[in-house]
Amino acid sequence: MSEHSWKIGVGLASMLLGMLLVFQFRTETNVKTYLPQFTTASELGIKWNRMQTDLNKKEQELKQLRQQLQEYNRDEELKSLRMAAGVTPLRGPGVEITLTDVQRPLKNYEDPNLFIVHYDQLGMLVNELWAAGAEAIAVNGVRLVAQTGFSCAGTTILVGTRKLAPPYIIRAIGDAATLKAALTIPGGFIDSQIRPFELGFKIEIKDSLYLPPYKGSSVFNYAEIVPEETEETTGAGGEEETETVEALENWEVANEGEVR
Amino acid sequence: MLVIPLLGIALGAGVGLLLPWEIPLAYKSYTALAILATVDAIFGGMRAQLEGIFIFSKFIISFFANALLAVGLAYFGYSIGIDIYMGAVVAFSIRIFNNLSLIREFLLGRCRQRRDEQ
Repeated sequence: MSEHSWKIGVGLASMLLGMLLVFQFRTETNVKTYLPQFTTASELGIKWNRMQTDLNKKEQELKQLRQQLQEYNRDEELKSLRMAAGVTPLRGPGVEITLTDVQRPLKNYEDPNLFIVHYDQLGMLVNELWAAGAEAIAVNGVRLVAQTGFSCAGTTILVGTRKLAPPYIIRAIGDAATLKAALTIPGGFIDSQIRPFELGFKIEIKDSLYLPPYKGSSVFNYAEIVPEETEETTGAGGEEETETVEALENWEVANEGEVR
Repeated sequence: MLVIPLLGIALGAGVGLLLPWEIPLAYKSYTALAILATVDAIFGGMRAQLEGIFIFSKFIISFFANALLAVGLAYFGYSIGIDIYMGAVVAFSIRIFNNLSLIREFLLGRCRQRRDEQ
């Protein structure tokens, strides 16, 4: 008996060991199925680090994109200002108006002065186009900008400082139908300024018009830029003083006009 | 000699697979101690047998006494928040390695004896 008793003892202990191992293994596998990923703090730490670097990278990217957006907005603003200032050539749909003096031979009693295109008629036409929503206008290839004015010098019309000769071709970019309607409306520009004097007038709707840039210089000798924030205060402060001066100047101008 | 523990482990594993139990996670440290205690008992029993001093009742009593002391230490340590059971783990491990070296010496000595006889 004592020969084999150790076998029983050790065998029983071994069996217990085997059972314990199986139970513990079972527990461990169950735990691992519930918590499959991050079992240790160091793994979590690594993950946190990685996410932190990711976050930093993304934040930097965001910053860069914001800056780009700002630059883009500035570019957009610059673009629209350049378009408004007329320093860039433009292309777009619109109308092309051809204006000519009277074509038929005049009779002896007719005053030829009435049957030619005058600078004020061009001015009215352009004004009508602006009012109808034209985005850009050129007269005989001369781009109209904010300072452009029409004037009369003897027998020719000046637009700004450039001389014009008939036929006057006015190109306007904008909604063609609206522009055309603005001119041809009953009692409008054509009825009041073209028909009575039998001037040649042709209006064509174009899909693509090319307008050259403004070629003159823009020099500002008197005006200076006022920062936007201070605009109101200076305006309110200087108002009373300038009023009298203006009145005086107006009076002088009026007088000069009468003298001439 | 080595067949008995291996056979026992295999049989125990088979029984364990048939039984549906598992040990709750909270008793993890107790399980470690229990496993170490059984391993210690196996090696201790083998060593005693080799030395010719194996007594079944002594084997059983010492196994349970060791296991109870270890579990008591673990429980005590758990209730005061200190891992005292580590002490029992270390003690069991030392004993296991001790017994293993003794068993190795015995077996090697026996082999040498046989060779000399031949």
